[in-house]
Amino acid sequence: MRVYVVDNGGQWTHREWRVLKYLKVETKIVPNTTTFDQVRDVDALVLSGGAPDVASESGRMGNNGEFLDKADFPVLGICAGMQFMATHFGGTTGPAVRAEFGRTRLYVDEEDQLFQGVPREFDVWESHNDEVRTVPEGFQVLAHSDTCQVEAMRSLRRPLYAVQFHPEVENTDFGTDIFRNFLRAVEEWHR
Amino acid sequence: MFDPQEFVKEKVEELRTKITGKAIIACSGGVDSTVAAVLVDRAIGDRLLTVYVDTGLMRKGETEDVRRMFDGLGVHYRLVDAKDEFFAALKGQIDPEAKRKAIGEKFIRVFEREAEAFGADHLVQGTIAPDWIESGDGVRDTIKSHHNVGGLPKDMTLKLVEPLWDLYKDEVRSVARFLGVEVSERQPFPGPALAIRVIGEANPETVGVVREACAIVEEELEAAADKGSMPRPWQYFAVLLPIKSVGVQGDRRAYGRTVAIRSVESVDAMTASFSKIPYDVLERISLRITNEMKANVNRVVYDVTHKPPATIEWE
Repeated sequence: MRVYVVDNGGQWTHREWRVLKYLKVETKIVPNTTTFDQVRDVDALVLSGGAPDVASESGRMGNNGEFLDKADFPVLGICAGMQFMATHFGGTTGPAVRAEFGRTRLYVDEEDQLFQGVPREFDVWESHNDEVRTVPEGFQVLAHSDTCQVEAMRSLRRPLYAVQFHPEVENTDFGTDIFRNFLRAVEEWHR
Repeated sequence: MFDPQEFVKEKVEELRTKITGKAIIACSGGVDSTVAAVLVDRAIGDRLLTVYVDTGLMRKGETEDVRRMFDGLGVHYRLVDAKDEFFAALKGQIDPEAKRKAIGEKFIRVFEREAEAFGADHLVQGTIAPDWIESGDGVRDTIKSHHNVGGLPKDMTLKLVEPLWDLYKDEVRSVARFLGVEVSERQPFPGPALAIRVIGEANPETVGVVREACAIVEEELEAAADKGSMPRPWQYFAVLLPIKSVGVQGDRRAYGRTVAIRSVESVDAMTASFSKIPYDVLERISLRITNEMKANVNRVVYDVTHKPPATIEWE
């Protein structure tokens, strides 16, 4: 299986690469200025987090929009990757009412594929100033925290998944399980 | 998951092809640069010179420990005393980035001299993933310029070789164990050393104070861990703050500086949580610092911030 990580300048982009590598996936980090044609052979993409405010600095998000429009494979957006996905399909983002850094309690609302086999609530690691305010039409909220309503979402029409927290870092509980679940969804999609 | 044997095999072959002439390695005696030194030594043997710089910013007894370790490893090494140069470069510098860049540049100037004398055109560094990630690049914000990446001067001519570029600390440790490197479990210590554990100007006086405080933190936490009172933390040290506060010592007014204790748990330094040190251990550290260092420090605080939002070191 081939899953590339689109680099939006996150501190943990390389961690996403490491987790995928540990899960025996063929992976590499590609700049977000890569064209869709250069990645069209992948089985899935991960859109990393990064410093941009996706609403006012969408230019810094490179070709994320093209990837989302043209992907005929699953995509997992993380942090800024999720915020971009939300605005791209008509949802809204804004400065978080309360920012979340470090340990945060996550509550799973919908088990879905992403949270299969993990507890209904557990600790995750966060690092975000902005948040998704409203999810796009056709998307479902999968998880929330005490201070952030959208911690995970998915499209009901296409294999698009997104999380606000960071499953790729060591301090997030069950992070590797969430990646494994995503890879299982990728496998099923291509079956 | 990560296979150190495969990694060593691959890297040694790659290094053999890459380094055609001679090389020097910047080695602090920490796990990253020592592992890099052993790898390159396996690849090119005598064509490698290991260089340790005594910046004047090292911890108590560190230079002597490193000398003993190098002797044990049997590598070809030189210890360079550059204390005066480093303190001259740090004079008046209080901005964390300016300090890091001054140190990065000074290191390269020393290495350039050593490389020229040895006839080397390659500089090997033990750079690991967090160093370049946090130093920033075209798309990534600069969190802090690691001396070996973001602190490099633009006009350097040595060719860089960085065999551990994609690894994190836990992976480097597994390579170190595989290679039988004795410093495999040593706690991380930043390249700019004690200079970034002094908030404000790092000079022989302030560095001397934080050196003593760091030694007390290390001794007490290691003793507590050896006794089984707590697990040994991942990284633990003291930071000297420029904040003065009022105290009372033997019925006399004291107006002294503050030391912050920092201790964290981590795997890869990219996220970290503060250590839940038992109160009696914190108390012993506090008492020792304020009694033994009474002329300089009259207050001790404990840093209870995770990364993010803080970083492990304060600068």
